[in-house]
Amino acid sequence: MNSTSGISPATTAIDAPQDLLIVLRHAPHGSSWLREGLDVALVAAAFGKRVGLLFQGDGVFALLQGQSSGPLAQKGTHPQLAMLEMYDIEHLWVSEAALAARGLPVDSLMLPVTSLEASRIARLMHSHPHTLIF
Amino acid sequence: MTLHLLNRSPQSEGVYRDLREAFGDGDHLLLIEDGCYAALSSGRDAVAAFAGRVSVLKEDLVSRGLEGRVDGAIEVVDMQGFVDLTEIHQRSVSWF
Repeated sequence: MNSTSGISPATTAIDAPQDLLIVLRHAPHGSSWLREGLDVALVAAAFGKRVGLLFQGDGVFALLQGQSSGPLAQKGTHPQLAMLEMYDIEHLWVSEAALAARGLPVDSLMLPVTSLEASRIARLMHSHPHTLIF
Repeated sequence: MTLHLLNRSPQSEGVYRDLREAFGDGDHLLLIEDGCYAALSSGRDAVAAFAGRVSVLKEDLVSRGLEGRVDGAIEVVDMQGFVDLTEIHQRSVSWF
């Protein structure tokens, strides 16, 4: 099963592997894992690599609308997400089960993503030559 | 075919759940560091989905006093076995 919230048809192509797949599994703010994963994505894209992102587990919280900086003005990760398009990072996949477990409809997220069921996630990982997990 | 390295105890349910989604045919799981705790019979549920394709690192079992407590269904490999697994599989990814 495969649903998208609409904008770019490129985001549906799970059979078009990118040079690098980055898996984001951690929520914003609580640790630096999400930021580091996004940093790697942006750097790789800046060097001309085609990058895809998979949001899994608490990583799907990175896609919530209405995020802001922390109470002590700690930077969030939402500005980095907003920059993905500028770096031509358009392949955004998300675990359907992770969204469902957290009660998040796919169309409530800040970016258009393709939601994938488990078997398609395994295929996605398999089809990418390089995967980094954060 | 991917070698998945996992270093968290089954107490971190989320990482096992995410791995289950990503685990493909022909993949293999090697439990290292605190992942060793999933190799006990008490961790059977956490690794049930990977049955027959799970190993655990001997050196990390020994340092935790777990050698001899490993569930019979899980293969124990030493550092050389770890190296062999990385040779057999096209790539490795780490879950933490």
